[in-house]
Amino acid sequence: MIPFAAEIHIRSRMQRHFNLWVPLAVLWILLFPLVLLLLPILMIGCLVVRIAPFRAIATLWGILTSMADTELAIEFTDRSFSMHLY
Amino acid sequence: MNEDRRKILEMLAQGKITADEAERLIAALEKEPARPTSSGSPDPAPKAKPKYLRVLVESHEPANADSPSLVNVRVPMQLLRAGVRLASLIPPQARDHVNGALRENGVPVDISQIRPENLEEIVDQLDDLTVDVDQKNDKVKVKVYCE
Repeated sequence: MIPFAAEIHIRSRMQRHFNLWVPLAVLWILLFPLVLLLLPILMIGCLVVRIAPFRAIATLWGILTSMADTELAIEFTDRSFSMHLY
Repeated sequence: MNEDRRKILEMLAQGKITADEAERLIAALEKEPARPTSSGSPDPAPKAKPKYLRVLVESHEPANADSPSLVNVRVPMQLLRAGVRLASLIPPQARDHVNGALRENGVPVDISQIRPENLEEIVDQLDDLTVDVDQKNDKVKVKVYCE
């Protein structure tokens, strides 16, 4: 499943906490026309470097659809950043 | 031969039960699921398929405030499998270059031969891997495990 939201948590040096919900679903909808426009360019690019274009699209789609549930957290002594894809 | 089957045969030999009764009892025993015996240890439960790969990098004495003290990444196994397929998308000329560089550095691996099945083999062996990295002013522990 494509990640439909991202939760970002930032703790700054001033001990301020920011919780941010990014609705990725909206982003995908906005990006969809751009992806359709870029698709022929991507396919031509694949053919130029002798890569099967449909296999490339399938692989990229596979990566996008398996990104949900990815977590990343980085902590410093005085600040931290964490992100969770849903 | 298990204990129950032996008892049935003993009862048959002693004439306490008939051959028909013994046959029925043995048939009933065979229908029962196997129970662990006291002498032998039970079969270990099948290992659950891991869903995530966790990479933890802990720094106990960060060199400075800009060095992270903890990096915690959880990646779905599905994403790793999809990532392995990226190797097949490397253009042939770049693939030859990468293979040559790997061979020069003592890693005779053909990256075009890397398949998602190879990842499964690694994951099967990867229960809990901890690597201690000692740097000049920093002690870093890298832990990689599946969950």
